[in-house]
Formats: sequence, structure tokens, C-alpha cells
Amino acid sequence: MNPASNRPALNYNRRQALGLGLAGCACMVCGGANAATLDYGLKAEEIAPGTFGVFGEREHFTFANGGNIVNTAFIAVPDGVVVVDTGPSKRYGEQLKGLIEHTLPGKPVLRVYNTHHHPDHFLGNQAFERAVIAAPQKVIDNIEAEGGGFADNMYRLVGDWMRGTAPVSPGLAIDTDGEDVGGRNFSFFRLSGHTSADFALRDDETGLLFSGDLAFLDRAPTTPHADLAQWREALNTLQAADIATVVPGHGPADPAGRCFIQTRDWLDWLDGTLRDAMARGLTQNEAMALPLPARFAALGVARDEYRRSVVHLWQRLEEEILPEVAVDRK
Amino acid sequence: MGNVRKTMRALAVMAMLAAPVMAAARDLPADPLKSVMWEDMAERFLPGGDIVFDQRVRVMVPASAEDQFFVPVTVDATGLPGVTEIVVLADLNPIPQVLTYRPADAEAFIAFRLKVEQATAIRAAARTADGVWHVGGANIDAAGGGCTAPAMAHGQPNWMATLGETRARVWREGTDVARMTVRMRHPMDTGLADGIPAFYLSGLVVTGTDGRTLASIDIHEPVSENPTFTLKPRIDAGTRRLDVLARDSEANNFAYSLPVKAAEVAN
Repeated sequence: MNPASNRPALNYNRRQALGLGLAGCACMVCGGANAATLDYGLKAEEIAPGTFGVFGEREHFTFANGGNIVNTAFIAVPDGVVVVDTGPSKRYGEQLKGLIEHTLPGKPVLRVYNTHHHPDHFLGNQAFERAVIAAPQKVIDNIEAEGGGFADNMYRLVGDWMRGTAPVSPGLAIDTDGEDVGGRNFSFFRLSGHTSADFALRDDETGLLFSGDLAFLDRAPTTPHADLAQWREALNTLQAADIATVVPGHGPADPAGRCFIQTRDWLDWLDGTLRDAMARGLTQNEAMALPLPARFAALGVARDEYRRSVVHLWQRLEEEILPEVAVDRK
Repeated sequence: MGNVRKTMRALAVMAMLAAPVMAAARDLPADPLKSVMWEDMAERFLPGGDIVFDQRVRVMVPASAEDQFFVPVTVDATGLPGVTEIVVLADLNPIPQVLTYRPADAEAFIAFRLKVEQATAIRAAARTADGVWHVGGANIDAAGGGCTAPAMAHGQPNWMATLGETRARVWREGTDVARMTVRMRHPMDTGLADGIPAFYLSGLVVTGTDGRTLASIDIHEPVSENPTFTLKPRIDAGTRRLDVLARDSEANNFAYSLPVKAAEVAN
């Protein structure tokens, strides 16, 4: 679903936002979130010296989890704090900011990075100063084009947790391969594949890679804006980089690089399965009912994400695989 | 004159009032999908004949519309003998009538994609030769807006030039049944998006080598952009070709032939 440039902005927003879908699913038991008090119960886990991960549930968006299905992180650098992604709502952003102030008292937030434009990664931007929020220009463009529609759909999916949330796009466009923030150097990877613009960064001091949604661990990858070929290229790039530990967009911190192997395995299987199904003439609904390999049984929401992916990827394969026929127009 | 008109109007009002009573007379079964529109759907689109809910009419849809512009649906009534037509309805769409399929010499099986405006029941009513409607269906959850947003085609400057472009393939599924999938480029405008009149593929007929109609579809606005159908026409060992003639609401006709591979000879 690549929007053409001359579509009116309103329609583009609407169709794209609707197209993302973000299918709501059966509610699962959640960890810290309290839907009565709208408290996400965010916890900072120190994953490297002065580096804290805030790990979300490996689920879909639900009224119970308030959209906290995502990993965010913050890093103490000599002169302040660097934040990676801001969560699914204004409320999450505020609670993340509170957690940072509690964990690293007195340190100013010098930089906030957005890894990509999916709503769980940037809708907490409101809690931070726009001038310090940074992402590649294409990520900013995507947020500006689709952010409003995403926010609307998030209200539908998680309800009151979203109160007051409005999209805020980053104030800084990244066009370099790295930068020094408050005395700490970060290396940048400007890639694509999970969406049309994916941003990953490495803390050069600790070797920690924040992969955004280019890597998932123990939770099935999502594909609403995916290009599988580009995504595999991006995985090649990240795997070749000098990295100590990966903080994936969803799933636990990963010192062994399992997230790259698992994400690639899923994408390869998905691509092969859909191509084979289409070559055999299956309908989309028949393809959705195909069995999943046992090795994916441990992945969160694997069946649901597979069904969603059949919708996301099927029509491009029709255009690629079904033979063209000569049409006589009368 | 005035009195006659008054009387006519009174009769018309009475007829309208009487309609629900007549519906009750047909003994409409309670809707397992609990849709508020069920009685209306039955009266408007399933005329005459008894109505039964029948699990042999399988409607496969996802529980939630990942993309409400493209909801995949497969209707499989092959377990029900003697199906003459299948009417597909989406109760809460502004245009509920999706398509009518007549499998003249084909299996009672059709797959396609449709647009949904909101969460709705999606039904297939298969009519058997005795006139009885056998109804199956499922509810689908959705965000909203599938019917009232413009087609993607309108974002592309040359979309008229590619109108009717087709990708298609036929598979032999058994000795006497084929499976065919056709995907045709068409915006399928519902007429409900601002400033864009209705413009949609309205019919498709499949004929065999001897010119006999094997299957035909009356297509309505809710079928998704770039309509794609999977059907199962009956063929024989010698069938090497299926012909398709499609037309749209502006009287454009699109004709094409699809090759059928020779049957594999058993050793």
C-alpha cells in the first residue's frame, strides 16, 4: 500500500491509518499495567552500566495493557540522558519521564530518538521537548503523514489510556552516521524494511544496539508496512555491525543476537509459505489456516501476526506471481 | 383525483406497515450472529423460499479486519448439494449487497475481498434448487471507513490506462474440477467517497470451450478495489481453455482466455 504523492493529505492519512489495522485481539493477562488507575507500572531494568530498558508485554494492544507492548530505553551519558522511543501514549511518555527523573535524578533529557513511525514507539513524544526529539527525515515524514490516524485507531484499541494523546513529530532530522550527545558517541543505522524508514542506533561506549522493530525476540514480527527484501538487507547490516547486546523493539535484551536469527527465520518462513500457498492456488483465508511450524510455538501472538501478515503481503504477491493475461477491451 | 391519490398513499402506508407481518409469516429463524439488520437483509435480498441457517455454508473471514478496504472472504458451500446461487451480504455496510454468484456448472465455492464500513455480520445465503435459502456467516470486527474513502487508484495519475489489466491462473484440482483465480485492475468506486461517482466492475461470466456458461457473478460496489475472485468451474480432461467476459458499470467490457493445462495421464 504505497500511497501516491498526489493523493490529498486527508485521504492519505485516513486510508493509511485504517490500513495499518493494528487488529485488537483477545486480552491476555498483563504485567504491571493497571487499567483502573491508568498506571503502566513502568520499571527500569539496568541492562548495562547506566543503561536502562523499559520492557513491554509481548502482546497486541489491549484495554488492559494500555498499549504498553513496546520496549523503550534511556541511557545516562556524562551530561544528561538519552531516550530511545517514547511509548504508545502521552500518559506513557509522562510516566517514562517520571521514571527517568526517579532513576537518574537531576539529569536533563538531552536527546530523544524515534526508531520509526509506528504508534507504540512515538506517541509518548508529547511528554518531551520537541526540539530534542530526533529521527531521520523519512521517519518524521511518516509520523506527520500517518500519526493522526494512528492516534485515532489507538483510542479505539486501548481506550482511556490515550486521553490527551496527539502526535508530535521530531524537531530534528538526522542525516549523519552518528553524533555525540552529552559526551557519549552514538552510531546510526538508517535502514528500512520493517517500515519505509527504520532507525537503529548503537551506544559506542557499551556496544548496545537499539534495533527498533528491525528485530523482534520471542514475539512474532509485525508487517503492516514491511518490505521483506529490504528487511533482510537491514538484518544483514545490523548483524555485521560490532555489537555487544541488542535491545529489540519487542522482547527481552539479547546478548547472543538471537533476535536477528529468529526475525530472519520468521520472515523467510513467512515469505516462502505465502509464495507456496499462492502458487498452489489457495485463497487468503485458506492460507491463513495453514499450520505454523513448531519452532514458532513459543513466540508471542504468532498465529495472530501470521494472519495479519497474510493480509499485508498477499496482494503484492498476486501482482508478482499470478501471470498477466492479454485482455480484449471492447 | 385528490381522493384517489390519498387512497393510494394510504394503501402504500398500509403495505409498509404490513411488511413486517409478512416477514413473520415466512417464519424467519433467529439470527445466530445477532445482527440488528437481519430481518431487513432477509426481506430485501432473500426473496421467497424458506430460510434456514446451515453450517454447510461455510464463510471464512478473519475475526478482525486488518485492513477494512481488503477483507478476504471465502465462501464454501460445496457440502450442500444443488446450490443454484449464493448471495453475499454485509449487514452494516451502507451498500449491504456484495455479490450474487451463480455456479451454473461449478462448485459452490467463491473467494474474494470486500470493503467493510464498520464491524458487521458477513453472510452467504446459498439457494438450493427447491428455493430454500441456506445461510451461513460470521461477524467481523473493524475500525471504520472502508466504503467511504477513495480508491488507491486515484492516487496514480494513469489509472484509467491500466483499467481491466488482469492477472489470472487456472489449476486443475481434480479430474473434473478446476480452480481459477482472476485479479482485475479496477477502482471499484462505491459512489460514497466525496466527489467520486460509483464506478465498479459489475459482472463476470466464465464460459467453457463449448460456449456454455459455467459460472457468473453479479458484482456490487462493496467488492474491493482490484477485484480478485477464486472460483471452481467444472471441466473435463479435454478442457484446455476457459473464457472470461467481465463488464463494468460504465459498459466497458473485458474479455480474456485462460489456458488450462492438460490433465496428467495416470500410468
